[in-house]
Amino acid sequence: MVDVDLVLFLVLSSVEVGAAYLVIASRRLVHSVFWLFVTLITIGGIYILLRSEFVGLIQLVVYAGAVPVLFLFGIMLTRRKIMEEPHEAK
Amino acid sequence: MSGHLIDLHYYVESVLSFLLGFGRDQLHGIGTASPAPLGGPLYGLGDLLGAEWLLVLLTWLLVVTVMVMWGTAVNLLVMMWIERKFYSRLHDRVGIKIGLPSMGFLATIPLLGGLFKNFVKRPSHLGTGFLQNVADGVKLVQKENLTPKSADAFTFHVAPVLIATSSLLVFAAIPFSEGFAVMRQVDLAGNSTNPLGILFILAAFGLAPIGILIAGWSSNNKYTLIGGMRSAAMLMSYEIPIILCIIAVVILTGSLDPFEIVRQQTVSLGEAVPALSLLPPTSSAPLYIPNWFIFPQIIGFIVFFVAILAEQERIPFDLPEAEAELVEGWLTEYSGMRFGLVFGFKWLRALAGSSLLVILYLGGWTGPAIGTGLSIGQVGVFFPPQELWFMLKVYGVFLVWVWISWTFPRIRIDQILHIGWKKLIPLSLVTILLAIAMRGLGVYA
Repeated sequence: MVDVDLVLFLVLSSVEVGAAYLVIASRRLVHSVFWLFVTLITIGGIYILLRSEFVGLIQLVVYAGAVPVLFLFGIMLTRRKIMEEPHEAK
Repeated sequence: MSGHLIDLHYYVESVLSFLLGFGRDQLHGIGTASPAPLGGPLYGLGDLLGAEWLLVLLTWLLVVTVMVMWGTAVNLLVMMWIERKFYSRLHDRVGIKIGLPSMGFLATIPLLGGLFKNFVKRPSHLGTGFLQNVADGVKLVQKENLTPKSADAFTFHVAPVLIATSSLLVFAAIPFSEGFAVMRQVDLAGNSTNPLGILFILAAFGLAPIGILIAGWSSNNKYTLIGGMRSAAMLMSYEIPIILCIIAVVILTGSLDPFEIVRQQTVSLGEAVPALSLLPPTSSAPLYIPNWFIFPQIIGFIVFFVAILAEQERIPFDLPEAEAELVEGWLTEYSGMRFGLVFGFKWLRALAGSSLLVILYLGGWTGPAIGTGLSIGQVGVFFPPQELWFMLKVYGVFLVWVWISWTFPRIRIDQILHIGWKKLIPLSLVTILLAIAMRGLGVYA
């Protein structure tokens, strides 16, 4: 019989590690923020997998819901050329 | 008191276990009758069909599917229809009319065609307009999905998925009656529970702003960028009063469980507030007023009502897609069914928001009902069932929203911040204070 928890943990953690790598590897900052969002959501999933649902949901509310938006606002409000950036990055 | 008609898990599991058991028996029969090299594998396949984990897995998948179809294919269409018909009446016109009579081909059905023989000439003025939204959806599916040349293709394609999934995720935790819910356990006393349901709804509600912001940025268009920034700023800032109002209700009930919150609203107001029983009795038969949290939390109700209205980007708060200034805001560049996804999400959020409002403040699915004496499973059938009461209240709340949004003009961006940060958040803090005072002073048992 397959250990469902182990399979879910492996899927979630591999997505998380891959997304965490892409956070630093992406050339565009908005992509980095998106992968950060994916990382934070999968961390919430791992919390729920560890049977601590409350911490997992708080992780989703606070980190996945608010922190990436904060980063995006920070990027968009402090960089003057946010629209042109993708073309320069190529 | 009323009972629920739909017990989602029980129904799905009964049907599935019947079908799987039938398949298992058939395969076992064929397997024993077949010659040696074929019989064993067929028999084993039958065992697989009878396995417990397959039943559990398929039950969950089907339950989720039924809930998603209920949210999108039924309620999305109904709410769009309600809105379009109702604002047409406010405009003093009839509105959309495409309905069954517009489908002339119904008259050509061999046996039943006689019933529809009036439809041959397509008298579209006879229709109710319900099929107009279906026609719009079909049109959107047929359209080409365009990706702007300078758009950031990856995030442009990911954002609608993010927005749609986070809106659908809300329906995992919203109960439509005591039995009609995806996340639901039954405790020893036979009551439905979902200990962290409200928190889950909040978490799922809060995931949309980043999708909207990414959608606005990736389209690489100044209107979408401005719309996305406005939308994310508005959604984030109006989420705070929503959370604070929910905290006030949670303090009153001591539970994050939507079932428990509704259950506490079924007792009468006289029982819940001990001070009311000290008043001299006015008549021999006491009037039964249910303990809906709109009574102790009237300020919270108003704040929640306005904030949820802003969360759906409805007209007094539709700055993110102000047509006159920003074309269509953050969804300008989307086309085809992708536009349908990001456009329809507003009604999904309206459904989720009004369900939440009804659960928290308006007594949820409770209402007067008559027992019919029948029963399905161990649950008695009542008329009207809980689902009917719940949907009546939800559509009623939604009607008031439509009424508001087609009556008032759009507010300015500074007024949005003024209303959100200077009015709603202090008022929601006052509701928390009131809730703590009611609990602490024992006014509210």
